[in-house]
Amino acid sequence: MHSQTRVYYPYVSPFDPCPPMRVKTYVVPPNLFIQFQPPGLPQFSAPEALRHGVLWPALYSPYEGRDRKGRERK
Amino acid sequence: MSDHKQVDERYYQLMHELQSLDFVLVELSLYLNTHRDDMNAIQQFNEYSGRRWQVACEFEAHYGPLLQYGHSYSGYPWQWPESPWPWQV
Repeated sequence: MHSQTRVYYPYVSPFDPCPPMRVKTYVVPPNLFIQFQPPGLPQFSAPEALRHGVLWPALYSPYEGRDRKGRERK
Repeated sequence: MSDHKQVDERYYQLMHELQSLDFVLVELSLYLNTHRDDMNAIQQFNEYSGRRWQVACEFEAHYGPLLQYGHSYSGYPWQWPESPWPWQV
């Protein structure tokens, strides 16, 4: 489980019509923990920044996403 | 055989480089909005915008205008409606 992903356990009722989802995850990106971005953070090169979607590795938040059956996709 | 001219490998290289430079410029612009006194970032921004301008010029010299309404030159005949369009590439 990537460090930025946290889990919670929703309540499951016996009357739930669908199979219950016992574990659900949410992402906690680094920008929640950085109040004001300090100057001079290390940077990606241009192609890397384009691929990662952010210029500074410190703020990178990968999103693996899920495949159709809800399994985590690596 | 379609009469459209196929684009070569250089087209994709230049387009990829242009996109990565543009992305860095976007990130730096947003960063500089809140860090107006960061001298290094401003220097980097100016350097990247200069490089972006060169790459765009080289691209337009080979493959026609990138922007319309006077933001890019055009060859003869008027090149704007020529294919391939960005979504066709």
